Amino acid sequence: MATTALPSRGYLEDDTPTVWAWIKSWLFTVDHKRIAILYLLAINFYFLLGGLAASVVRIELITPQGDLLSSDLYNRAFTLHGIIMVFFFLIPGIPAVLGNFLIPLMVGARDMAFPRLNLFSWYLYMIGGLFALSAAVFGGVDTGWTFYTPFSSTYSNSNVILTIAGAFVMGFSSIATGVNFIVTTHTMRAPGLTWFRLPLFVWSSYATSLIIVLATPVVGITLLLVAIERIWGVGIFDPALGGDPLLFQHLFWFYSHPAVYIMILPGFGVISELISTFSRKRIFGYEFIAFSSMAIAIIGFLVWGHHMFVSGQSVYSGLVFSFITMLVAIPSAIKVFNWTATLYKGSISYRTPMLYALGFIGLFVIGGLTGIFLGVVAIDIHVTDTYFVVAHFHYVMVGGTIMAYLGGIHFWWPKMTGRMYNEVWGGISALIIFVGFNMTFFPQFVLGYMGMPRRYHVYPQEFQVLHVLSSAGSTVLAIGFIIPLIYLTLSLWKGKLAGDNPWDATGLEWTVSSPPPAHNFDEIPVVTTEAYAYPPEAAERDAAAWRPGSPL
Amino acid sequence: MAEHSNTMPGTDGHAAASDHHSHGHIGRDTYYRVFAALMVLMVLTVGAWWIEGFMEIPRVLGVLIAMAIASSKTVLIIYYFMHIKISNRVTQLYAAAAFIGLAILFIIVMGDYFARGWPPSSGPLP
Amino acid sequence: MATTTTTQGSEVQGHGAHADHGHAGHGRELQHHFETAQQQKEAATLGMWVFLVTELMLFGGIFMAYTVYRWAFPDIWAEAAHHLNTPLGALNTVVLLVSSLTVALAVNAAEEGRKQRLIRLLGVTMVLGVAFLGIKGYEYSEKFAHCAGYETPIAWATSGAPLGETECLVPGRAFVFPAAHGEAAADAHHEVTPGQSSPYQLFYLLYFIATGLHAVHMLIGLSIVGMLTFMAARGVFTSVYSTPVEIGGLYWHLIDIIWVFLFPLFYLVH
Repeated sequence: MATTALPSRGYLEDDTPTVWAWIKSWLFTVDHKRIAILYLLAINFYFLLGGLAASVVRIELITPQGDLLSSDLYNRAFTLHGIIMVFFFLIPGIPAVLGNFLIPLMVGARDMAFPRLNLFSWYLYMIGGLFALSAAVFGGVDTGWTFYTPFSSTYSNSNVILTIAGAFVMGFSSIATGVNFIVTTHTMRAPGLTWFRLPLFVWSSYATSLIIVLATPVVGITLLLVAIERIWGVGIFDPALGGDPLLFQHLFWFYSHPAVYIMILPGFGVISELISTFSRKRIFGYEFIAFSSMAIAIIGFLVWGHHMFVSGQSVYSGLVFSFITMLVAIPSAIKVFNWTATLYKGSISYRTPMLYALGFIGLFVIGGLTGIFLGVVAIDIHVTDTYFVVAHFHYVMVGGTIMAYLGGIHFWWPKMTGRMYNEVWGGISALIIFVGFNMTFFPQFVLGYMGMPRRYHVYPQEFQVLHVLSSAGSTVLAIGFIIPLIYLTLSLWKGKLAGDNPWDATGLEWTVSSPPPAHNFDEIPVVTTEAYAYPPEAAERDAAAWRPGSPL
Repeated sequence: MAEHSNTMPGTDGHAAASDHHSHGHIGRDTYYRVFAALMVLMVLTVGAWWIEGFMEIPRVLGVLIAMAIASSKTVLIIYYFMHIKISNRVTQLYAAAAFIGLAILFIIVMGDYFARGWPPSSGPLP
Repeated sequence: MATTTTTQGSEVQGHGAHADHGHAGHGRELQHHFETAQQQKEAATLGMWVFLVTELMLFGGIFMAYTVYRWAFPDIWAEAAHHLNTPLGALNTVVLLVSSLTVALAVNAAEEGRKQRLIRLLGVTMVLGVAFLGIKGYEYSEKFAHCAGYETPIAWATSGAPLGETECLVPGRAFVFPAAHGEAAADAHHEVTPGQSSPYQLFYLLYFIATGLHAVHMLIGLSIVGMLTFMAARGVFTSVYSTPVEIGGLYWHLIDIIWVFLFPLFYLVH
C-alpha cells in the first residue's frame, strides 16, 4: 500500500516557533498518541533502570560469597529491581503505551473519552516515579516489592514511605488509564463496531481496566495504612494492638495477584493481533479468546491466597485457593490453543513481531505450567520462596509481558513513527532475547527445585555453575534489549517510510496514515465487518506468491 | 481496507451512544419522599441502637439490623438520588460492580479468618 | 469544559479548530472528540461511576479491616464506641442526608435550567458540608482536649475545667483508655488491659483513619461544589447542558453513602 497524500497533519508534526513552545506542545498535549509517546519514553527509562538493578543482582550472584554487595545493599538492589519493574514498567507498560496509542484508533474514535485525565495520568506516573527514584537515591528500600508488615511498618530502616508514596501515586495513574479505557470502549466505538467486531487487543485492555479499577484502590489504601503505621507508630497491622499482619497480606494480594493479570492480559491482546496478522488468517475462536480475557479478569480476583500458602492462612482457604488457581489455567490454555490453531494452515511470515509472538507462546506455556505446579499446595510448600518461583514469574512477566511489549512495539512502530525499523537486526535481537532469556531463567528452575532460596546474596558452592549460567544469560538478555533500542532510534531518521499498512493488516488503525493524523479520523469510519477479516484464501494466495526476500 | 469501504448506512448508528436509556426523569416529589424515607431510616437505626441498650439481644442481630438499615439507605440514595433508576445498563452494571468486588474481598478474607479461628488466642490452629 | 489553554500549534482544542471534522453546529460545550452531546454525557456519567467504584473499593479496605477486628474484639468495640459522641454523629448524619437532598434538588434545578435556584441549592449544600466538617472537627478536638487533660475544647483553649480522669483516645504513645471502664471487657479469650497496646487503640485508629479519609473526601466534594457554584454563577449550565452538576452530585452522594455506613459502624455499637 502506498502512502497517500496526508489528509491532515500527522500527530508528530508541529509548527511551533520556538523550542520552548515545542516542549510545551508535548508536555501539555491531550492527544492520546502523544501521551503514548511520553509514556513510551518514561517507561523505557524505568525499564532500563530496573534492568540495571537486575544486572547488579546478577553480578553479585556470580560468586557464592557476597563480594560486590553487603546483604543489606543486595536487599535494596533486588527491591529496586522489583519495585521499578512491577510498578513502573510491567503494570503500566502495555496499557499506557500501546493501549493509549491504539485504543482510540482501534475503536474509531478521535481521542480517549477523557483526554485531560489521560495527560494527568502521565503526570501522576511521573510523580510516582520521582518518589520511587528519590527513595532509591536516598539509600533505597529493602522490603522487597511486597512491603510485608511488620518489617515494612516497624523494623525496616530504609525509605519505605517514599517508595510507598511512589506506588500509591502510580496506582492512581493506572486507575485514570483504566477509567479512560473502560469509558472509551463503552461510549466511543465507531458506528457498526459492535463488541464482537472489536480487535482482541481492545477486549484484553478492557478486561485489564476492569481489574485496575476494582483492585488498585485496595492496594492504595493498604499502602496508606502501612505508611500511617510507620509515621504514627501505631498501626492496624500491629500485633501488639491485636492487629493481624496477615490482613496486610490479604489486602495486598487482593490487588497484587490480579495485578499479574494487569501485566499479562494486554500481552495476550497484542499476541492475538500479531498471530492473526502474520498468519494471514482470522483468529481461531474469536469469542473464546475475548471471553477468556474476561474470565481471567474475574477468576483472577479469587485466587490471591496462593501467595499465602505458607504464611499462616487457614489450610482450608489454602485448599480452596489451590482449586480456584487451577481454574485460571482453563482460559489461559484456551488462548494458547486458539493461537496455535490460528497458525494451522496459515501463511506464517517470520517477521520480527511474529518472532516475539512465537517466543511468547513458548515461554508463556512454560511459565503458565510451572504456575500450575506452584498452585498445588504440596509443591508450593516445597519450593516457596525459592528460585523456582522467581523463574516461574519471570517466565510469565519477562517471557510473556516483555516479549509481547516488544512484539507490539515492533508491530506498531511503523504506525507510531511512520518508519520501518531494520528487519535484520529486529530478527537477530528477537532471537538473542529468546536465547538469553532461557539461559537466564531456565537454570533458576533447577536452582529453585534444588533449594536455592530467593533474596539471598550468598549461596552454597554447588549452586555456582547454575548461577554463573544464569548471570551469563542475563548479559545476553541485556544485549538483546539494547539492540532494539539502537535500531529503533536510528529508524526514526534512517528507516524506510512505512506507508499506511506495511503488514497488510486489518483493523481501523491501519486505515489511517502513518503516523496518524492529529485527530485520527477525518470522517468517523463505519465498520461493517468482523475483526481480522482476512479473506479465506489469503493465506494460500500469500504462500503461492511468496518469493525469497518478499516481505510477507 | 475492503471491510471499511462497504458502508452500510445506518447499520446501528453510534454503537454505544445511540441506545438511549433515558427512561425518564425523577421528579422533585420523589426526592422529597426519598429524603423522608432516609430520615425515617436514620431515626430507626438510632432508635434500634437505643433500644438495644436495654434489651439483651444477640450482638450479631444488632449489627445485622444496623447494616440492613444502612444498606437500605444506600440503595435509596443510589437508586433515586444518583439516578441509577434512569441510567443505562452499563452504568447500572458498574454501580453493582463495586459491591460485587467488595463482596469477593469480604467473603474470601472473612472465610479465611473463620476457618483459621480468629482471634488466634481463641484456640489452636485447626 | 472546552480547553482553550492548550498550546499545541494546530491541535488547539478551541472552538474554531474543529470545523474540519464536519460536525460543526453543536453547542460550545461539546468537546472535539465527541460526536454528539448525548455521547459526551454518557461518557462523563459512566466515567464518574467507574471512578466511584474505585472510591468504594478504597474505603472497602478500611471496612475490611474494621470487620476483621470487630469480629475479633466485639466487647472492646462496644466499650470503646461508648466514648464517641453519638449525638453529634447522629446530627452529622442528618446534616449529610439533608445535603444529599439539596444536591439532588440542585441537579434537578440545573436540568430545568433554573439558575438562581441552582446557585441557592449549591450554596446550601456547601454550608451543610462546612457544618459537617465543623461538627467533625469539634468531635476531633474533643478527643485531643481530653489528651491535653481538659473536659472540652473550649476549656482547653481557655484553660478551663480539667478532665476528671486520665483519658486519651487519640492513637499514639499517649493513648490511654480509661481503666475504670475497661475491666468488663476482659473476657475469657483475651486478657486485654485497657492501655496503650490494646485493641481499644485499634478501634480509635480505625475511627480516625476512616473518618479522616471521609473528611478528606468531603473537602474534595466541597471544592467540587464550590467550582460548580462558580460555573453556575457564570451561566455555564443550561437546560441542555448540566452534566458537571450531575456528576459532581454523584460524588457528593458517594460521600454521603460512606458516612451512612461509618455512622452505625463507629457510633452505634453495642
